[in-house]
Amino acid sequence: MAMTQTPSQDIAELISRCALRDRAAFRLLYERTSAKLFGVTLRILRDRSEAEEAVQEVYVKIWQRADRYVAGTTSPISWLVAVARNHSLDVLRARRPPSDDIDEAIDIADSGPSPERATQDNQQRGQIENCLGTLEPDRADAVRGAYLDGYSYEELASRYAVPLNTMRTWLRRSLIKLKDCLSA
Amino acid sequence: MSTGEDSDRDIEGRNALVAEYVLGLLPSGQHERVARLIENDQRLRAERDFWQSRFSALDDQFEEVVPPRHLLGAIEARAFGETVASGPVARFWDNLNLWRGIAAGALAVAVAAVGFNLMQPAADVSSLTTQLVAALEEEGSNVKFVALYDGAGNVRLTALSGEPVPDKDFELWAIQGGNNPVSMGVIPVAERSSVAVTPDVLAGLGEGSVLAITLEQAGGSPDGLPHGPIVAKGAVTRI
Repeated sequence: MAMTQTPSQDIAELISRCALRDRAAFRLLYERTSAKLFGVTLRILRDRSEAEEAVQEVYVKIWQRADRYVAGTTSPISWLVAVARNHSLDVLRARRPPSDDIDEAIDIADSGPSPERATQDNQQRGQIENCLGTLEPDRADAVRGAYLDGYSYEELASRYAVPLNTMRTWLRRSLIKLKDCLSA
Repeated sequence: MSTGEDSDRDIEGRNALVAEYVLGLLPSGQHERVARLIENDQRLRAERDFWQSRFSALDDQFEEVVPPRHLLGAIEARAFGETVASGPVARFWDNLNLWRGIAAGALAVAVAAVGFNLMQPAADVSSLTTQLVAALEEEGSNVKFVALYDGAGNVRLTALSGEPVPDKDFELWAIQGGNNPVSMGVIPVAERSSVAVTPDVLAGLGEGSVLAITLEQAGGSPDGLPHGPIVAKGAVTRI
């Protein structure tokens, strides 16, 4: 049986069975994915006991919210990593002192036509790296640092030894450029 | 403000803001505000999904680290509740614990219905003292309702957002203490409605109870227990 399914389909099925309150499936899901998700919480939180606490909360959330996973829209492992990453970032944000809002250039009045759903992840494998490659190396690293290490603007500014506002300007421009490349 | 006339610069700024949100770069208050904006705008949701899926291609770079052995037991105790020690447990209890968790979690939901009661004629002093409100919403869902108990046996519902789902119905539930949720019936979406409260629900209705809306098969749950996903919920507060 296992040979006819990709690991990704297996994980998707385990998540669906969690939504149906199947505890055995939850245990199996934990066995298959906990090293990955602990890797995420540990890398972002940089503290072993906080990462252990976080990964526990992450799996409780996964158990409670398994019905939110919609198979086919994102890969199941990406969904799980996103739960772990977002939870870790929430922990970091709660830890940081409050800081000024960043200028919100946003207009929400018009809903516009329905855009296409994002395409499958596996088509994007490599694409993000190619597009990051079009940015200046330290700016690409800053984007990676925000995604993979959960660095704040303050941390990025001090790592690259530039003023905070310069960092914001750099990164926003990089994201605009990245969007053009990723949409091309 | 402007509609359909956004300059490229506006669009770029908005897209960059969503990317900053996905990366987790925004400070906490702003992060939550942008989260709400995204939930209420399908263009922004599509933009969020775009960035989330593109960045997730970097997930390979998170190295695997095996967590310590004892974590699974602790997780199970928290996820499944006290019943974990007794081995396989009937679905009923799973359900009950799930809903207990929801009731506890929902207490943190902010109630944003201040002033709603000013619209309602107050029949007498006693009805005023029994007015209750709940704002029903849920992360990841655009279904939002305000519920008001009018003190005279009816819950009035106002849909703030949400669309009907083909072949499905929205069902309203009361969750009171550690009890199983009690159905208050199928409710229309995208219009005002009023639900007569049964005496058993009324007895437990008060501060700390929770109202929730699930998406059920057409006509509502056949067995009196919720099966579908929760699309909105909120704690009941006295006003």
